[in-house]
Amino acid sequence: MRSRRNAFRWLVGKEWRELLASRSFWIMLVLAGPLVGMSFISAVQTYAEASGLGGTSAGVGEAFSPLIGVWAPTFSACELVAAFLLPFVCIRLVAGDRHNGALKLELQHAMPTFPRVGAKAIVLMGGWLAVLAAPFAAILLWKSYGGTLYAPELAAITVGHLLNAGLTVALAAAMASLGEHPSTAAILTLSVTVGTWIVNFAAAVHGGVWETVAGYTPTAMVAEFQHGLIRLSVVLVALALIVAGLGAAAVWMRLGIPIVRRVNQSIAIALVAAVVVFVCTYARGSWDTSESRGNSFAEADEEALRQIRTPLHIEAHLAPEDPRRSDLERQALSKLRRVMPDVTVEYVSATSIGLFEQTSAHYGEIWYDLGGRKTMSRVTSGEGVLETIFELAGVKPPVESEENIFRGHPLAVPPRGAAAVFYGIWPVTILAGGFFVRRRHS
Amino acid sequence: MPTGTCTSDAALDVRAITKRYGRVTALSDVSFSVRPGEVLGLIGPNGSGKTTLFECLGGVLPLDGGGVYRDHRPLEGSERATSLFYLPDGICPWPEQTVRWALEFAEGFFGGPEGRREEVIRQLDLEPLLDSTIGSLSKGERKRTLLAIGLLTPQPVLLADEPFDGLDLRQTREVAATLKGHAARGRTLCLSIHQIADAARICDRFVLLSGGRVRGEGTLAELSALAAGRGLSAGRDDLEEVFLALT
Repeated sequence: MRSRRNAFRWLVGKEWRELLASRSFWIMLVLAGPLVGMSFISAVQTYAEASGLGGTSAGVGEAFSPLIGVWAPTFSACELVAAFLLPFVCIRLVAGDRHNGALKLELQHAMPTFPRVGAKAIVLMGGWLAVLAAPFAAILLWKSYGGTLYAPELAAITVGHLLNAGLTVALAAAMASLGEHPSTAAILTLSVTVGTWIVNFAAAVHGGVWETVAGYTPTAMVAEFQHGLIRLSVVLVALALIVAGLGAAAVWMRLGIPIVRRVNQSIAIALVAAVVVFVCTYARGSWDTSESRGNSFAEADEEALRQIRTPLHIEAHLAPEDPRRSDLERQALSKLRRVMPDVTVEYVSATSIGLFEQTSAHYGEIWYDLGGRKTMSRVTSGEGVLETIFELAGVKPPVESEENIFRGHPLAVPPRGAAAVFYGIWPVTILAGGFFVRRRHS
Repeated sequence: MPTGTCTSDAALDVRAITKRYGRVTALSDVSFSVRPGEVLGLIGPNGSGKTTLFECLGGVLPLDGGGVYRDHRPLEGSERATSLFYLPDGICPWPEQTVRWALEFAEGFFGGPEGRREEVIRQLDLEPLLDSTIGSLSKGERKRTLLAIGLLTPQPVLLADEPFDGLDLRQTREVAATLKGHAARGRTLCLSIHQIADAARICDRFVLLSGGRVRGEGTLAELSALAAGRGLSAGRDDLEEVFLALT
């Protein structure tokens, strides 16, 4: 007797079959293995050498965070896959229906179009989980070497790459629905990806509002997750953009609706998304999931900072491309913003690189204004900034507990067997799996 | 029956449908009615607007004017989707899936009546094709598969664009008999056909479309009378002659 599944489940089943039938999906899976493997092998090799492998002198313990040393570079390969391979898989799944006429049949079901796009997105994310099997194979290898794992940071990095894939799927789905032809959709999708890189470049050169916007590009978002930092605003912005992208795809999938109406609906979605994104940027929650607490000050320092209720204004005379500015931002200000609710930072510079401002009297100065009390410092390290703030606030700097210092996890083991797994077993298994599945379904 | 009338007992009333592509008017004020359980032939030469009309009726192409009505109420969105199913011509849906899966999907996704699949497979002689992928089928085989998909859907009205295109004479006769059988059991069929001989074989009534306009609607006898009323000479039982006289 025929099972009475509902239409949505039929659609999900159909999309899953279509995904498994597409060569682009299997090509993406095959390539994911060697890409991840190359990153993993290189990272483990470097990590091992820094840990004293081959007679080299071991580095300081704090440097040995598997998150930064191994998982960030290993998962970075997934970012490449998401940027350059996943869009084609997505476009094939979305535009294919339109191209071969299946959409005309399917649209005659009374189901609204958003669930239709949702079914495709669910299946594509399922496909992305298969891609993530490659870094998870790396995790198993690392464990077999005797490496330590810290689940929260691995969870954070996985969430980051899932959100990044979600953004890619939403963008590619929107473009595939919008474009008449899959090649147009591919060009549009890659154009948006390149556009986000341009935003990052502009942020690095010009700073200011570009810097704020760049904080929400997929590249910046993934970078934060790869450092174990989860910011609520970033997650909410990503989710809002994913829903907006899928919404736009749903609008353009409705072939029977006049173009003008679809354009108006798209504009409405864009406006609502812009407002939601703007509101989401004010969400303040953040979690440092890294074992090394690399995104946070020491707990005692944070506790002392929380006691300071007065608004703090920092004016840094540093150009966007000055390395001291990125040091200040990474080592101190990004951590400070997470702890102190009322801190504002203003960068002042006349040029983008700062090279010709060095002779200027105030260049390099960092002014701190805490409720009218002002002081100046040129130190950009986390410790230096904390010292200045505590001094200004009249707070005694807390003594850091020795127990809380992250000692690192050195591991002087070469990446044994990784080449065989990622360059041999993975591609052969995927190819065999692809051959078997496609044959079974056809 | 006069051209372009609407009746309250109709399965569907098509009223004043207009469709433009830029400055080109593909359909102009097209009106006709579809009666329950009949096989209505939409006849017209290539480029007359048959496919455009079906796409508009099927809701996959936006209209510039007019609409589809039932019981004097316009059919919109989900109501239209539950009332009629449009089977396009020249498509190759899910090319990498098998015919077996496509039929199962059509029945399950659209919620067609249970137990009809085996019958449709037999009627359209699809048994040998069940394990072939749709993309590997010949034009005629694909057409039969598409027709099976259409016949498995639950909507009371089925619009099929060129249902005999790609079929040989024997297959055309068999498919015509199958379609007639489904109509006899209450399914209303609206078929777009450019081969007038094929239309004459299967259809109960006809809508003549030319240049995006309805030139006549009715049974062969009614159309002959219409032609005669306009002072046009046409053979009484010859649809081709009537068509040529009226278009």
